[in-house]
Amino acid sequence: MSVDKNKAVINYLLQCQDIYNSPLYFNLIDATNNTIQILTTTEDKALSKPFVDGSVQKRYTFNLITFKSISDMELVKPMGTSISTDEYPNENVDELFAVQQLLDWVLEQDDLANYPDFGSDCIIDSIDTTTDYPRFDGINTEITPPLAMYSISIVIEYLDISKVIYNKQ
Amino acid sequence: MAIGQFNLANRQRAARKLLITVAEWKEGTNTVREILGTRTEDSSIEYNADIETMTDIRGINYTDVNRTQPQQTFDPYLILGGSRLGAFLNDVRRRNAVTELNDFTIYIITAFVGTAGAYEAEKHDGCTIAYTAIGGDANVNMPIDVYLSNDGLDSNGKSTGAPIIGTVDKLSDDFVFSATTVG
Repeated sequence: MSVDKNKAVINYLLQCQDIYNSPLYFNLIDATNNTIQILTTTEDKALSKPFVDGSVQKRYTFNLITFKSISDMELVKPMGTSISTDEYPNENVDELFAVQQLLDWVLEQDDLANYPDFGSDCIIDSIDTTTDYPRFDGINTEITPPLAMYSISIVIEYLDISKVIYNKQ
Repeated sequence: MAIGQFNLANRQRAARKLLITVAEWKEGTNTVREILGTRTEDSSIEYNADIETMTDIRGINYTDVNRTQPQQTFDPYLILGGSRLGAFLNDVRRRNAVTELNDFTIYIITAFVGTAGAYEAEKHDGCTIAYTAIGGDANVNMPIDVYLSNDGLDSNGKSTGAPIIGTVDKLSDDFVFSATTVG
């Protein structure tokens, strides 16, 4: 029986406390501060890799878009030679770091070989992000108050063995 | 013996997965099999035919195929969890016990010939599987070359000088091979 990969990904992401504690939307969104949106994308079938045994290497890709409140406060420049980020707290810097932690969580799961459950017809090889740092996608001014949007592109590589002619191995 | 016809619709192409190579070997008293080709994108049996052509004084060519030395390369052959053959070859590799590489039975199953429950196959005894390297980039790869013997053993264990022709009842690695001709 085929597994709904979107639901599998949602269940998987809810293991992350930061995501679990945030309003989470799938494709459509009503954005407020800290809202996270799962945005599905499509992968060109030409990138799939067929093997001689009938199995196919495939990719499931999606974006995680995080909406964060913004600050128009100037960075406070440190005085003297002792420079610490704690000396000039800034909401924008802190929010980006929070999104970075989401990205780091994904990479940590790959190290732990903790993957979504795509069912017995799929063997997951890896979950990875396409960048080392979140992308800043700009300020969405259509929302009141305006929110910053940060995105992470995530790729799940898996082997689809549903068409293998013989025993799954 | 009648020539087996393709079990394909008219002009239908045979999917690559219908040509299956299976390695069989002994581990102690157990016979172990593994279907080859997992995560291999492209692999063919190369026949390496020894061909001799001569031209007579009239300019007519006569070509003889003296012998074939079939060989199949699996590259990549990735180190995969659960692979019995990979574990066996790695054990041989670290002991450098290369003589143990010469006693494989190889089945070539042509699943595009025959019927469900009786797919045509050939059995080569005394085959060799040689690892050619180990390493790679992101994943450990140990490419292998499979050398087919062109020989089979009859029920008395005597060489037949040709592969044993027969059928397999299914396309999983627990198939039963039934010989239809010997030699």
